[in-house]
Parts: sequence; C-alpha cells; structure tokens
Amino acid sequence: MVVVSEATALPARVSTAGRHSSVVVSDDRQWARHLCGFVRSGLDRGEQVQYFADTTAPERVLRTLADAGIDATAAVTRGQLAVPVAAQTYLAGAAFDPDAMIGLWHDAVDAAFARGHRGLRVIGEMSWGVRGAVGADRLLEYELRLHQEVFERLPLTAWCLYDRRLLPDAYVNLLAGAHLTHRGDPVAEPTLHVAPLADRVGFLMSGSAGYDTRDAVAAVAAAVRGTSAPRVEMDLTALRHLDAASLAVLADAAAGRPGGAGLHVRQPPPSLERLLELFPALGSVMEVVGR
Amino acid sequence: MTTSVRSSDEAARREAFFHPALFYGTENEYLDGLGAFVRGALDDGQSVLVAVPGVRLPLLQDALADDRERVTWVDMTEAGRNPGRILSMLQEFADRQEAATPVSIVGEPIWVGRTPAETWEATRHEALINLAFEGRRASILCPYDTALPEDVLAQAYRTHPVVGAPGDYRASSRYADPHEVCRDCDVPLPEPADAVVVPFGEQDLASTRDEADRWAAAAGLSPARRTDWLLAVSEGVSNSVRHGGGSGTLRMWRAGGGLVAEISDRGRLDDPLTGRRRPDPYAPTGGRGVWIMHQLCDLVEIRATARELVLRLHMRAD
Repeated sequence: MVVVSEATALPARVSTAGRHSSVVVSDDRQWARHLCGFVRSGLDRGEQVQYFADTTAPERVLRTLADAGIDATAAVTRGQLAVPVAAQTYLAGAAFDPDAMIGLWHDAVDAAFARGHRGLRVIGEMSWGVRGAVGADRLLEYELRLHQEVFERLPLTAWCLYDRRLLPDAYVNLLAGAHLTHRGDPVAEPTLHVAPLADRVGFLMSGSAGYDTRDAVAAVAAAVRGTSAPRVEMDLTALRHLDAASLAVLADAAAGRPGGAGLHVRQPPPSLERLLELFPALGSVMEVVGR
Repeated sequence: MTTSVRSSDEAARREAFFHPALFYGTENEYLDGLGAFVRGALDDGQSVLVAVPGVRLPLLQDALADDRERVTWVDMTEAGRNPGRILSMLQEFADRQEAATPVSIVGEPIWVGRTPAETWEATRHEALINLAFEGRRASILCPYDTALPEDVLAQAYRTHPVVGAPGDYRASSRYADPHEVCRDCDVPLPEPADAVVVPFGEQDLASTRDEADRWAAAAGLSPARRTDWLLAVSEGVSNSVRHGGGSGTLRMWRAGGGLVAEISDRGRLDDPLTGRRRPDPYAPTGGRGVWIMHQLCDLVEIRATARELVLRLHMRAD
C-alpha cells in the first residue's frame, strides 16, 4: 500500500483527464512531435519535465528539442528538464516493482514541488518491457494501478511511450489499452482489453478471456489484490467469454483482499454465471451486480 | 466358474468395497432386488443414494413407503445423461459422509434406449468405479435390464466383481482389470461426413473460441446451450495447448439433432480418472477442464492412444 504524502495529496479528486496517456509511435517524426509538444507545454506551465530514456540517447532527446526551438540546455541548467536513463534510475534495482514505483512517484512529485515547480510531467520509453527485465511481467499490473493509486492523488502528468518498431503489436495493443487516454497511432482491440475504470475504483475487462490471456488476467488480479479501497468493481459489460481458470484467478484475488472485502462484478457474461453454478465456492467472494 | 457369495457374508462385505451387478427381467425383480439392498443399508444406518432412470423412481419410492425420506433420489437420465459425470456425483455423495461411515448407492447408468456411444462411455464409467472406490467402505449396486443387448450385459460381467441377486451374489469369473476394460471401450469413432476443421495453437485460441461460438450460433444452438458449448470447447482447446503438445485440431459438425465438437491433440491421458471427481476450483491442475466438459456436455467420448488424445463433446440442441 502506498502512503500518500500530505504535502502533495490533493484535498479532493483532481481531474485525471488526459494525465496518464499511452502514446504509440511508429517513426521518428511522430516521436519528435509528441516529445516537443509535451516538453514545451510543461516548461510553459512551470512544471518539472523528465524524459526517462530507454533506447534513445539522452543527447538525441535534447538535440531534438533544440531543433524544435526549445531551449533545452537552459531548462536542464535551471533544473526544470532532465533526461535520465531508465536503466540507471527506476530500472536500476533488482527487479521492476510496481509498489516501489508508485512510492517513487509520490516522492518525485514532492521533490518537484519542493524545488518550486508547479507540477511534474514525465515521459517514459516503455520498450524495456519486452527485453526480459526482472519484474517486467508486472508492467501491466502497474499501468492498471496507476490511475487510482497515483493520478487520482497527485498532480502528475505521464505519457507512456510505446514504439511500434521495438514492440510486438499484441503487446502494444494490450499495454496501450490499459490507459484511459491514448495518443498517437491507433491501436487495435486486444483479445482481452483491460483498463482501470475512470469513475470508480475498479477495472474493466472486455473481449474474451482464456488460457491465451492468462497474463492479462493475472495482472488484473494483482491490481485487485493490491487496491486498498473498500469496494472494487469489475466491469464485464463487454466481456464475451471468461474461462474457469480466469474466474478462479480473479476469485482468488478477491479472497485475498484486505478484510475479505470481495469484488463487485458488473454485468458478467453468461459463462461466468454458469461457472458459478458449477463452482459455488467462487461466488462467495464476489457479488454480481447490474444483472 | 463362479464362487457364491452368500448372504452370510453380506455383513462382511459392508466393511469393504462391494460393487455388484443385479440382472433383472421384471418389475418385481427390480423392486425386490433394489428394495432389499436399500432397506438393508438403511437398517445399518447408512446414507443411501439411488440414481436410476426417473421413470422408475416412483415405483421404488412407493415400495419403500416411509423410508423414502431417508434416501437421496436422483434421475439418472438427467444427472447421468453424460456417463462421464456420474462418478463425480457418486464420489461427492460418498465424500459428504463421515470418513469411516459406509455408504450405499444404487446406480443404473445403462438403460434400454441408451445409444451405443453412450453405452460404451457408461461401461467405461462402470469400470472406473472399481478404481475410484477401491478400498473405500462403499456398496454400489448396478441394476441391468436383461432386455439390454447381449454384448452390453456381457460387459457388466467384466466391470462388476460381483454379479447376481440379493442372497445370491457371486464373484464374476469374467471380471476384468478396469484399465483393460477402458482400453476396450476405445472403439473406433465414426468419421463425420461434413466437419468444419479448425487447427489451432496458443496464438489461435481466441479466434478458435470465436469460431466455435459463431458456428454454434449459425447451427441454431440456443444462447444458453451456446454458453455451455463455448465453455466446454474453450476448456478442450486450452488443454490441448497446455498438455497436448501446444496445438490441436478442432472439428465441428451436426449429428442427430445436436452438435459435436472434437478436439484432438498429441496429449496423453495417464490417469483414466481425470475429470471424474469435483476439482478444487482454484487448482490449475487436477482435471478441472475435463470435469467441466463432463458437466456441461450431454456426452463426452474419450479416445486415448499412445499417439493421440481425442475428446468428442456432444451437445443436444434443447
């Protein structure tokens, strides 16, 4: 669980519209356009801007900004712009750890305010996710948790940059789909689309869930297990099919929630209700609503 | 040659597994045989399950008069429509009793009118009872109508260690090893005339599920039955990817007013009891998928060879 710093916690829900976006690019021109627009906007607003590079050399990022007329050197000098390398910062530990990452965001926003900036905006290159880094299999869980555990609480704007040239389409479709806002190249609907809910604590699953989507279901289950909210909802309105293994994984996560708070399942597909007839024990940890 | 097991031994047989076939030709023989078995068990204070074709239930209930309330009654034509799910039901009933308490069950899985395909799977079920209940304090009486075909009655002698009638149970000289019987039940499956063929690997599982659903909808399967169909096919194709060499072939066709899905792969069925006991729903292994298929389908035909595992899932339209 993440403890929210009083200094940066917002007194009420802040608008999260557009603050956590997936950005999908497939060429350098698109990349530069998104990069420059994002950085320029942040500098103009007095926010601190950080670009976490993975495969792109930091010098190239700065050169691209300068070529677009942005005085990147001055921004770096006054501490408003930084281009760290992911492998030397948040990926430098033994494993990528969503819990630690979420804590880091709270620290980072605190630090930005302490230095007099009016907010923090970040771009992260996400291509490291397919290179076998330890903990990279938890990236989807992390993306799903960010909305509730970070963006609902902090004045942070973050774009997750997915480069089609470096990542398989199915991976991009799944990960980009886990954001509430999307920019750049359109992405196809994955077999199983998972995302946080915009207006409630919970998650959406749509499409078809089976053995082939077990990793996505496991990520949702981990996010369910991790959330401390008393009520968590699963919106399954657009889910066509759910197999027994997926249901068991979700039920296990629901059973493991603090205080046994259970899971509210909205408009499940007929397959879920049929499976609950076969396995009544799984139904004891979830409540079907909306049907 | 047969060895007589007289009623004087019946107290002793309650201490061990007892699985007789009772052959009956008339209604009176049926009522006398089953009535004696059930009353004896009730007199011993045992829990009793009677699972026979529903048409026979009123006869038995009337014959037992006030004792009927002490018996769990099941219409076998519904609960045992697919023979592959009967054993799970029987074990669940036995498991509900205290561990040391003997149970008595009447199970009639084969009746006049069963199709040959159902009868082979019911015969397999009869053989597997001997493996599933080995060493347990359980008596399972299986009535056989002598109007059944000779070859079906002959199999009853192979699947039951004991045959006969109350007071005259004899060891069956033709009793066979259950594994051998199961192998003999693997008769060749008839080839469909016109099947839709869908080869699949892990990357095709989603499209295979969608194709199975679309095909069943086009074939006229009702939405409720399509839910069962899709769940069963999904479990089958997933098993192929997980346990059957990573890929398989789905074939679908119409047959006898219903639909058939056949899933074949390079898997093996090392334990013939797979899927015949209610699984822990949380356990990723332990036959959950096969058990689900048995529960949802009207018939599951299983053919396991050294090179191939074939599951044929039958779904009636109604």
